[in-house]
Amino acid sequence: MNAISLRGVTKSFDRRQVLAPLDLDVAGGQFVSIIGPTGCGKSTMLRIIAGLETSTTGTVSVHGRPPAAALAAKRVAMVPQQPGLLPWRTVEANARLLLDVNRRANTATVVPPVELLREVGLGDSLGLYPHQLSGGMQQRVALVRALALCAPLLLLDEPFAALDEITRADMRNLLNRLIEGRLIGEVTTVLVTHSVGEAVALSDRVLVVSPRPAHVVADISIDLPRPRSDDLDDDRTFVSLCGSVRRALRHGMSAAADRVD
Amino acid sequence: MTRGSRAALLVVAPVVGVTAFLGAWEVLVRAGDVRPFVLRAPSRIVWFLGKHAGDFIAAARVTAMHASIGLLAALLLSVAVGAAMAASDFLDQATQPVLTLIMVTPFVAYIAPVVVWLGAGDPPALFIVTLLCLPAFTFAAVDGMRSADAASRELLASVSASRGEVLWHLRLPAALPQLLTTCRYNIGLALIAAYLVEGSNVSNRGLGAVGKRAAALNDADNLWATVFTMVLLGSIALVLLTIAQRYVLGWHVSQRRSGRHRRAPDTVRTDG
Repeated sequence: MNAISLRGVTKSFDRRQVLAPLDLDVAGGQFVSIIGPTGCGKSTMLRIIAGLETSTTGTVSVHGRPPAAALAAKRVAMVPQQPGLLPWRTVEANARLLLDVNRRANTATVVPPVELLREVGLGDSLGLYPHQLSGGMQQRVALVRALALCAPLLLLDEPFAALDEITRADMRNLLNRLIEGRLIGEVTTVLVTHSVGEAVALSDRVLVVSPRPAHVVADISIDLPRPRSDDLDDDRTFVSLCGSVRRALRHGMSAAADRVD
Repeated sequence: MTRGSRAALLVVAPVVGVTAFLGAWEVLVRAGDVRPFVLRAPSRIVWFLGKHAGDFIAAARVTAMHASIGLLAALLLSVAVGAAMAASDFLDQATQPVLTLIMVTPFVAYIAPVVVWLGAGDPPALFIVTLLCLPAFTFAAVDGMRSADAASRELLASVSASRGEVLWHLRLPAALPQLLTTCRYNIGLALIAAYLVEGSNVSNRGLGAVGKRAAALNDADNLWATVFTMVLLGSIALVLLTIAQRYVLGWHVSQRRSGRHRRAPDTVRTDG
C-alpha cells in the first residue's frame, strides 16, 4: 500500500485554481521533495496531505485512510517553516508538546524527546527557553517535536528556509542522519523546499512543480546511495541531478509564462 | 545594568519618589498654613495611624479580602467568558455591549439596590468588585487568546488537539501578559469599589465603613487614615503583582533582562 495516494486532486480559492488535477503515489519509506517557485501552491499540496486543508475535488489517502483520520490518529507529523515554539515552554517541554495533547492517539513506541534532543546536540539546553536559542537550535527543537511522535508520515514545509547557508547544510545532514538512522522507525517524508541542493541531497524523488495552477512538470529519481555523505556538493552525480532539477524548474516557469501569454 | 543598580532602581527610586511627594505635601500644609479640616499634614496622618494601628489593620483585612476575592473571581470568570468569546464571533459581538455597559455605568448608582438585594455583609462587596473587574479582564483575555501564534494553532490542529487542550496549552498562556497587565489597573478599581460598597453597607466592616462614618462626623483624622491605608494596600498589591509577573512571565519580553535576550545569530529574513 502506498503511504500517500492522490487522485484527481484540485484546489481552488475563490474560483481561482491553485492546484491543477494531480495524481501522486508515494511509497512507504520514500523521501520526496516538492520544489517550485514561491507561491506556486506546493505548501497547499502539503496541507491537503496533512489534512489541514480539504481538496476541492479528488481523493486523498494517507496510509489507506482519509487525511483527517490520519491526523486524528497522530499518524502525521509536521514541521512548519517557522519553528512555532511556545515561548513559555522550555526546550524539553516544547519537544514534548505534541505528545501532551490528544494523548490517547500516542503510539506505544514513542522515543523519549530528551533522547532525540541529545541526538540533535541539544542535551545541554533542555531547560532553556526559545528566546535563549539561535534560529538553528529552535528549528532542531521543532524537528524533534515532530519526530517524537514516531508518526509514519513526516511533512516538512520549508523548515530550513529562515536559516543561513551553513546552518541549513548542518540541518540537512542532521535530518538525513535521523531518518537513515531509523531511530524513529520507517518514515515517509515529504519536503517542500525552494532549494535545489537541499531537495537532491535529501530525497529519493524530486517533484518539480510549475506556477499556478500547480502541476508536476517533472518527477526525477535521485539515485544517490544511502547513507548520504555530508559532502555531496562536489559529487558528480549530485551536481548532474541538481542540473536536471534546475532545467525542469526553468521549463516549468517558461511553460507557465507561455500559458499567461 | 548591574544587579546592585537594578536593586537601587527597583527599591530606592520609588522610596525617593514617595518621600519627595509626602515632603512637598508636608511643606505645603505647614508653610501655606492650610487649615487642618481642609488638608491634614502627612506626619499627623501617620501619627494617627500608628496610634490606632490595630483598628486599621483589622479594617484593612476586610477590605483586602473583599478586593482580592472579587478580583480573583473576576479573573476566573473572564477566562471562561473570554475563551467562549475568542472561539465564537457571535458570542463576542453579543457580549461586548454588555461588558461595555458594565464598564461605563457609574457603579455608585446601583450600590444601594445591590446591598438591599444581597443583604448586609460580604456578598454585595464581592458581587460589585467582581462585576466591575470583569470587563477589563475579559477584553484582555479575548485579545490575548486571539493573539496566540497562528503557526502554533495549526501545529496543535495537526495532531487533533481538543479545544480544551488548545486553551490550556496555547491560548491561556498567550493571554497571561495582558491579563496581568490588566490586573494592575483592576487592583485600583477593586479597592475603590470595595471601599465604597463597605461605606454603604450596614455591617460596618472594612475601611469604607470607617471612612464613611468619619466623613459623616467630620472626623478628618480617621478619614485620611483610611485613605493612607488604602494607598498602602494598593502598593502592597502592586508589589505582589510585580513579583508574580517576574515569576510567571519570566519568558515574556517585558520581563527579560537585556543581557539574557540573545538574538538568534543564524536567522535570516526570507520571503518564504
